[in-house]
Amino acid sequence: MAPILKLDRLTRYFAGLAAVKDVSFEIEPGGLVGLIGPNGAGKTTLLSLVAGSLSPTSGRIEFEGRNLTGAKSFQAVRAGIARTHQIPKPFRSLTVHENVEVGLRFGRLRRTANHTRTAVEFLDMVGIAHLFRMPAFLLSVGDLKRLELARALATRPSLLLCDEICSGLTETETGLILRLLCDIRRAGTTILYVEHNLRAIMSVCDPVIVMNYGQKLTEGTPGAVQNDPSVIEAYIGKKAMI
Amino acid sequence: MEQEAPVGVKQGGDAGRSLLSRYAPAVAPLLVLASLAALPLASPGPNTVRLLFVTLTLVTASVGWNLLGGFGGQVSFGFAVFYGLGAYTAALSINGGIPPGLAFLLGAAVAALASLLVGLPTFRLKGPYFAIATIGVSEAVRVVMTNLPWTGGASGYRIIEKGRFFQMHHYYTALALAALAVGISTLVRRSKLGLALIAIREDQDAASDLGVNPFAAKLLVHALAAALAGAAGGVYARYAAFIDPDGVFAFRNGIAILLMPIIGGVGTIWGPVIGAFVYGLIHEEVVAYFPQAHLLIFGSLLILIILFEPGGVMGLLQTSLRFIRARSSVGSHS
Repeated sequence: MAPILKLDRLTRYFAGLAAVKDVSFEIEPGGLVGLIGPNGAGKTTLLSLVAGSLSPTSGRIEFEGRNLTGAKSFQAVRAGIARTHQIPKPFRSLTVHENVEVGLRFGRLRRTANHTRTAVEFLDMVGIAHLFRMPAFLLSVGDLKRLELARALATRPSLLLCDEICSGLTETETGLILRLLCDIRRAGTTILYVEHNLRAIMSVCDPVIVMNYGQKLTEGTPGAVQNDPSVIEAYIGKKAMI
Repeated sequence: MEQEAPVGVKQGGDAGRSLLSRYAPAVAPLLVLASLAALPLASPGPNTVRLLFVTLTLVTASVGWNLLGGFGGQVSFGFAVFYGLGAYTAALSINGGIPPGLAFLLGAAVAALASLLVGLPTFRLKGPYFAIATIGVSEAVRVVMTNLPWTGGASGYRIIEKGRFFQMHHYYTALALAALAVGISTLVRRSKLGLALIAIREDQDAASDLGVNPFAAKLLVHALAAALAGAAGGVYARYAAFIDPDGVFAFRNGIAILLMPIIGGVGTIWGPVIGAFVYGLIHEEVVAYFPQAHLLIFGSLLILIILFEPGGVMGLLQTSLRFIRARSSVGSHS
């Protein structure tokens, strides 16, 4: 099957620092791909490059066979890529359903007969339909993360980029979000999932890509990656020599 | 039906109140419009009509500014540019034999085009660049117009119209334009563009991440806002029959156009209207009584509003309404 996303030697410098350097990988359609790595490995930068929030210094991004290198984020959305943010970015003065309506009305499928009803369906999917009239600034962190997800889904992406969607959530909430991601994948959306919480990622993702210092370290099944010596070294350092 | 029930006196009162609160937002504006339209019945003096005329042109500019600054969160100090360009375009057109209605439209079009010149380079940037650029552009345009011999330079430009002067004719033109501006503002607020603008105001990156093209939305609403300010300038110019760069392009006009929505309630439909009436009706009195200190007074007013009621008059009204409702519900339970 042709890959849905193909990165070729993707590089992004911030001044002299290579936040992402020569990263190449492919994602098969229908996958739930994990992207892990220590702090500062370049995971979020990579996600922002794919989402169009940042433009690459060099390299190429191909999405569904189209060249999306240098596309702005709203163009990426219209092509079918949506993202969530690690720190939720709600439109604070808008209500919860209006937040989702932005995604509905400006996303890939712009024509919906009843925006409010469709918005509520997306809110129901993430479990916060009862909050639909509430202004977004009143929401708790957990609900904001769900709103973030509902909004991104409302743009009808074929590739969803999730940035640490479980950080700051309780164990129960994490479980619910992970189950939701599996449901979304089953419904046909490919997911690239950046996460710090290794247990979360290992339980749902296949394959897993590991980054360190802006470069791709390795890629494989959760089991193989967990036992890879270079990955262990990246996370907990070299074995001390006595 | 409930109100006709003989035993339902109290019930009828309740129904009346809920009816009032339901239809007040739609009826109040119509009442205001009707009373402004019925102004001749009060046989006002020419000075009152002049004051109301000027206030109505201010309403249009203020409502226009609010589209960009209130809904879209893009603060501009440079609306005097559009007001002045509209005034000069209309003046030149009328002297060239173009009918006034078309001349106002041309004024709006020139202002909208000029808005692109400011917006194209600055709306790609985030942060305060747009606001800063508007200050520079405003002064630059004023200086150019002061030295442009073609329009009389600093000595100004006179509009010569044959026929009698009907003050009420001008008044109704300004009233119709102000009503149109409020109508456009209401439509924008309810439209897809309005949703995009508020999303941009709240978080431009997040809006873009959901498919909104911030550059296009800001450019579009800036042009719309400039067109309204330009039309207001044109209507004013025809009435005044004489305009000069220090009058219409003055930086203080740009400040006034920004001040009015803030007084009334930025980002609301009616705030800019209320703010324009407050400013328009008291401004001349304040200048007359405190010729040296009027800027100090308006500056202090601005600081007080931002510190204590950022929602302006509309915010104050909402807070007091909530207070009254809370009080009355406590009263009915006890």
